Amino acid sequence: MTHPDLNQIEKQLKNALRRQNAPADFAEQVLARLAAHNSIPQVRRDPRWSIFTQPLVRWTAISATATCLVIGGIHYRSLRRERAKGEAAKQQLMLALRIAGSKLQLAKAKVNEINATQTANRSRSEEE
Amino acid sequence: MRRTVRHAIVVLPLALPLLLRAQAIKLPPDVEKLSVKAKETVEVNMDGPMLHWASKFLSAEDPDEQKAAKLITNLKGIYVRSFEFDNEGAYTSTEVEELRAQFPSPLWSRVVGVRSQREGDNVDVFFKLEDERMAGIVIIAAETKELTVVNIVGPIDVDELADLGGEFGIPRLNPKTLPKSAIKSIAKAEKGSQK
Amino acid sequence: MAESVLADHPPDTVTGFADLVRRHQSMVFSIALHFLADRSAAEELAQDVFLQLHANLPALKSEGHVTFWLRKVTAHRCIDYKRRRKLPQVSLEEVAEPSAPAPAWDPLFERKLRHVIASLPAKARLIVILRYQEDLGSEDIAEALSIPVATVKSHLRRSLALLREKLVRSMGEVTI
Repeated sequence: MTHPDLNQIEKQLKNALRRQNAPADFAEQVLARLAAHNSIPQVRRDPRWSIFTQPLVRWTAISATATCLVIGGIHYRSLRRERAKGEAAKQQLMLALRIAGSKLQLAKAKVNEINATQTANRSRSEEE
Repeated sequence: MRRTVRHAIVVLPLALPLLLRAQAIKLPPDVEKLSVKAKETVEVNMDGPMLHWASKFLSAEDPDEQKAAKLITNLKGIYVRSFEFDNEGAYTSTEVEELRAQFPSPLWSRVVGVRSQREGDNVDVFFKLEDERMAGIVIIAAETKELTVVNIVGPIDVDELADLGGEFGIPRLNPKTLPKSAIKSIAKAEKGSQK
Repeated sequence: MAESVLADHPPDTVTGFADLVRRHQSMVFSIALHFLADRSAAEELAQDVFLQLHANLPALKSEGHVTFWLRKVTAHRCIDYKRRRKLPQVSLEEVAEPSAPAPAWDPLFERKLRHVIASLPAKARLIVILRYQEDLGSEDIAEALSIPVATVKSHLRRSLALLREKLVRSMGEVTI
């Protein structure tokens, strides 16, 4: 058995480190976070916004926005947890299928080995 | 310093009637206890609802995951136990025989049974047939430092099984085209063991 | 050509930025995932990278520039993440070996190999990831991580030697 050369190790590394897909809705999640980040209302020096100079109105608006962001944040975290669980389940599924596949490969290799041995034995006995 | 790693990965199934749970592998107690000796244990228990739920996260853009989605469409469960040991001899042939005995004929057909004295690797593949259709497959791979049992439950036909064998970078294993010598040697061994 | 990609789909529009994210999400997510070995954390870190990208868009002039920027920022965020959470650091010599022999394709062995990689010291880990996931040369890796080329080569040499040593030890036990 030859020792593994660098090429073999590098092949293993390339295989193990091949790019993985990001979650299907990754881009949407980024955009959602971007939207949440940009949705804080800004007080402008504009007569149409003068109502927000009144403290009570201003604080009500800020509280309402903060509440929405907190609820949105909780919902987002809950969705993320759910998705994390789903991704973990998916990984387990893929692992199970790959293990099954690799053991079937082992079975196939063993059967081929038997076949090859029996063919070689038959040829030898025919020569004799 | 060598670091031994032992962890079990368990995906807990949803609460299910006992009937469905009974379809999972029933490992002999001695085999279940191997996880104590094992350096690493992989345990996967995914029944129908869990498979269905996990399939929602399979990506349509990943070819492997697309194939997996197709494969598990009608499956009722996938159960895996894989034990890896530091040393040879961590489990006995009796324990493996107890495992094989869980899948008796005529309900189960052993389509591959390989014993390799030289390498110490033994592999058995059992098919379960119902109404001439594949209804399940069990693979028992008893290697020198690893024991793996895979139980796939569900209506799988032979072509799907060939795809499973043909994807993920491995050659196809089609039971219809298995060499007769393999089946003959199994039949011989089974006759012998019945004496 | 590279410039026209950004011109055709202006990234400062919602659609354009979404396209930009989709083009690069696999790369960014994978670097984070292979470094952190935690999907949830990798997803969060990758999202943070793209939020930072959005803030820095005006400074980026081409697709190539975006790719380089993303790799660099992802790498630095990975190191920051490790520092903040004080993930266990193991010297190259202490890294456990993948103990199973390596057949042509073994999902369990691959998983172990990823564990070994994930337990390398942070810089060595990133260098291995950038080299084998992204196929970068030593100079590009040095630029992304802001370290000398010689350091990159040294880390790479030691990491590969260590992995080879572990593989030789485990494969040496296989009998034929």
